[in-house]
Amino acid sequence: MATIADTFQAHSEEHHHDADHKPGFFARWFMSTNHKDIGTLYLIFAIFAGIVGGAISGVMREELREPGIQVLGKVAMLLNGGAVDFDQQLHLWNVLITAHGLIMVFFLVMPAVIGGFGNWFVPIMIGAPDMAFPRMNNISFWLTVMGFCSLMISPFMSGGTGNGAGVGWTVYAPLSTTGSQGPAMDFAIFALHLAGASSIMGAINFITTIFNMRAPGMTLHKMPLFVWSVLVTAFLLLLALPVLAAAITMLLTDRNFGTTFFDAAGGGDPILYQHLFWFFGHPEVYIMILPAFGIISQIISTFSRKPVFGYLGMAYAMVAIGVVGFIVWAHHMYTVGLDVNTKMYFTAATMVIAVPTGIKIFSWIATMWGGSLEFKSPMVWAIGFIFLFTVGGVTGVVLANGGIDDVVHDTYYVVGHFHYVLSLGAVTALFAGFYYWFPKMSGKMHSELLAHIQFWIFFVGVNMIFFPMHFLGLQGMPRRYPDYTAAYQYWNEIATYGYYIMALSLVVFFINIIYAFVAGKKAADNYWGEGATTLEWTLSSPPPFHQFETLPVIKDEGHH
Amino acid sequence: MPLPEKARRNNRKVGLMALSLAVAMLGLGYASVPLYRIFCQVTGFGGTPQIASEAKAAAVNVTGETISVRFDSNIAPDMPWQFKPEQVTETAQLGERKIAFYIARNNSDKPVTGQASYNVEPEQAAPYFNKIQCFCFTKQTLQPGEEVRMPVTYYVDPAILKDENAKGVEQITLSYTFHNLHESGS
Amino acid sequence: MNFGETLRTTVTSLKALSLGLVGAVPLALLPKAAFAQEAAAPAAEATPAAEAAAAAPAYVPLGPDMIKGQPEPGAIWLQKQYSPIGHDASWMHDVVLTPVIIGIVVLVLALLLFVMIRFNRRANPVPSKTSHNTLLEVLWTGVPILILVLIAVPSLNLLAEQYKSAPKDALTVKVTGYQWYWGYTYPDNGGFEVISNMMPEEEAKAKGFPSHLEVDHRMVVPVGVPIRIQTTAADVIHSFAVPSLWFKLDAVPGRLNEKVLQIDEPGIYYGQCSELCGVRHGYMPIAVEAVSQEKFEQWIQSQGGEMPGKAAAAPAAPAAAATPAAAPAPAEIATPGAA
Repeated sequence: MATIADTFQAHSEEHHHDADHKPGFFARWFMSTNHKDIGTLYLIFAIFAGIVGGAISGVMREELREPGIQVLGKVAMLLNGGAVDFDQQLHLWNVLITAHGLIMVFFLVMPAVIGGFGNWFVPIMIGAPDMAFPRMNNISFWLTVMGFCSLMISPFMSGGTGNGAGVGWTVYAPLSTTGSQGPAMDFAIFALHLAGASSIMGAINFITTIFNMRAPGMTLHKMPLFVWSVLVTAFLLLLALPVLAAAITMLLTDRNFGTTFFDAAGGGDPILYQHLFWFFGHPEVYIMILPAFGIISQIISTFSRKPVFGYLGMAYAMVAIGVVGFIVWAHHMYTVGLDVNTKMYFTAATMVIAVPTGIKIFSWIATMWGGSLEFKSPMVWAIGFIFLFTVGGVTGVVLANGGIDDVVHDTYYVVGHFHYVLSLGAVTALFAGFYYWFPKMSGKMHSELLAHIQFWIFFVGVNMIFFPMHFLGLQGMPRRYPDYTAAYQYWNEIATYGYYIMALSLVVFFINIIYAFVAGKKAADNYWGEGATTLEWTLSSPPPFHQFETLPVIKDEGHH
Repeated sequence: MPLPEKARRNNRKVGLMALSLAVAMLGLGYASVPLYRIFCQVTGFGGTPQIASEAKAAAVNVTGETISVRFDSNIAPDMPWQFKPEQVTETAQLGERKIAFYIARNNSDKPVTGQASYNVEPEQAAPYFNKIQCFCFTKQTLQPGEEVRMPVTYYVDPAILKDENAKGVEQITLSYTFHNLHESGS
Repeated sequence: MNFGETLRTTVTSLKALSLGLVGAVPLALLPKAAFAQEAAAPAAEATPAAEAAAAAPAYVPLGPDMIKGQPEPGAIWLQKQYSPIGHDASWMHDVVLTPVIIGIVVLVLALLLFVMIRFNRRANPVPSKTSHNTLLEVLWTGVPILILVLIAVPSLNLLAEQYKSAPKDALTVKVTGYQWYWGYTYPDNGGFEVISNMMPEEEAKAKGFPSHLEVDHRMVVPVGVPIRIQTTAADVIHSFAVPSLWFKLDAVPGRLNEKVLQIDEPGIYYGQCSELCGVRHGYMPIAVEAVSQEKFEQWIQSQGGEMPGKAAAAPAAPAAAATPAAAPAPAEIATPGAA
């Protein structure tokens, strides 16, 4: 692998002087066409959105600490600027769950893994000077920001009972059509349109970049797995998001222009909306988790000082997950009244996904097997990811069974399951990737000690929040409830304490970032040592404003 | 720094291909509305009963076996009608052509136009439940205080006995929901 | 003893504990055995009840001592199941799925710990360069497939069982979801509709019922026989769900859904709306009251309804009541007497 490094060091040094010429502040950050700057913007934006979404979780967890309605009243008064009645407090709950879901999915995880790390490292890893369509890249980012603004306006608009859209992130009709008066719902739907358009543009950009702009010798089968993961993700985005766009546009016209796509009164069918939503919604969860897979593959390989085990199997397992992800959607709809054959098909198809997922888990372990493991912070986060993702994955196997789903569908069991794969899975991978690449992006070393401390606090916290949710779900506690019977208090209280522990870990995270910028040591080009073999490690930290103006040539035969 | 023209052309080509893929999926999203309806009508998915022509109905043989049919009625909240089946259940021979009635009455002081949505349960029986004529095929307008008997003619296809999933069904429910179309129909 | 059973035992003991808690209500202070003893005199209780029914229909709903299906404080497992489907499905969950998923997690955790100890930099300074092993790769593709096939067989059987439809003379209850309460219509018994709202928290607590779960008018059904549950909704989508009966079915406006329900023993079974339906989604609980056939008929009369085709129903009804419900039925007839 060292051959690669030698090949390019020369190139990047050669062009260093004119390569680092940067535009002025406004032009650089608001009209940016540079993939690294846009990546940085995405990351900053995602962190900001994450704080908003995380604060909402805090309100929800505090409300659920004990039976009764405690904090919703205070928050509702703050938002409405006056006295609120009981129903408005309950409506606020629905607004919070909706906003939390939409923010975390569309404005934290997707911008961070795809917009942030994808933009930063996909071009570098394939030896390209930038993305294929740099200006479209800029539009993508600002559309995301506009989408977020639209979503943030929604809670201040009338939504029927109270302000805001309270329909859940799934936006099921007819609750979202005839069941929600006022413009709040339209703003929320419009936010999805903007975020969706942004992601589709991003997907087109990544696909073109990866197909067309690879450096000489960088064949598809030599691309780092992170690039593979982004490629598969881009295709999922391209195929799934337009369907969502169509579905929510039909919601808008049903709401405002008298169409009846999802209204039985005019010959429509509310179940069709669910089919369309989940045709998008299921690939969407892979959109969030596949780039995380890619990040974990890079990190495990780096700190094991070994190439990834079964590279081709890993790459095509992601392709398989992507393909199968499109034909399993109705397992989110087991209780809507599907006939027996349909339910059997979706049960069987859903279980198939466990196979490529298993290949990935075992291949990561096999990569470590025989390696020379160094437990730097990204590695610790990555190993944490493998464990937490496995826990989330196996409950998915339980949920896949249509006959079992009858009792756990729409309960906290499901909430526990998808938070294990997303909140503990994707977000853990986000932190792993952040610590892995932060010094490369910023040029400053973070504190490894703080990163480790953050991991352990986070690990304890999130498990405390989400593991008891399986118990609550098995006991039948439905999701999206602000209030519950006394029997559910015990585990809810523990989950709420878990939230505070998790929140503490985020304090450590921010201290670590501040530490890095204030007192962090300057990062070397390849601060992780010989295990780190992909192209970003051949560049300076941070990389020059323009890299690879003379394209590198990949000679090495090895995989990454 | 800018890419050579050839590379830009190549990028545009691939980008446009990707874009057309997205546009195609968008089209598919909209096309799914009629496609889903046709799919349901053909396969009985979602409990959609079949619509049979007179000729098709005439060609079916009546067998000795019987099946129970239940009639269910609902009205949308904004519908000022009364709407009930004349009979809650009745027994039909497989293949036998039957007629059943619902009674609808407009309780408001305005003419009201409505249309019924419908489905059949259990869903596995839907492909074998054939309607020949039904009040639900068209809009219905009732004058203030007007009461009408609305007929549905149907038969249950004896092929139901050959279906592994549906042959154990002893009773089929035909359900209607009348919706207010909010038309100032005459 | 497998893990599922162990957990089940734990839950059962927790349930016993909480029964003790419910026992704070004076009525329920009598242990279960006491009710069984009173069963010796069912005839004495039944006669006045029948007379009362003939004159002015009197029906006394079950008391808190008959609560069977409800969540238990701090419990970590499925609610105890009271339906044939529930027994099969919870077996599938406890005996088939749980051991498999715990096995997988333990295996992954053990492998992770092993490689972390065995192959850390100090223990193994020189990494191997192995990146392929065809046999291994075939194994970890093949073995999961095998496991999944083994899971799929009982899973698909369970599904097939759940789709057996109710016999034609089964009682039909039509459940309608409204924002934010339930309506239970009995089309075969005159078509009356029972409107079921959540009982206010204070009232429920005072009467010894769990708050957020108890309702003013329960859905009353006979025990031990298949019941045809049909769901629909008037406004938005709701979902009719009772965890201890392994039952969950969406109520969708403009269409009807159907599923069979059978309850093993008399009792009260709680559930909650399980599809987000707006502001008071969390405040439209479900309470199913399962009683003997005689008591069910008494209830129907008290609601101004009638049994379908009296003569025709006569042979079917005692048969249904005689077999599974014989033993518990007298006990719960005795309950109002104790009150």
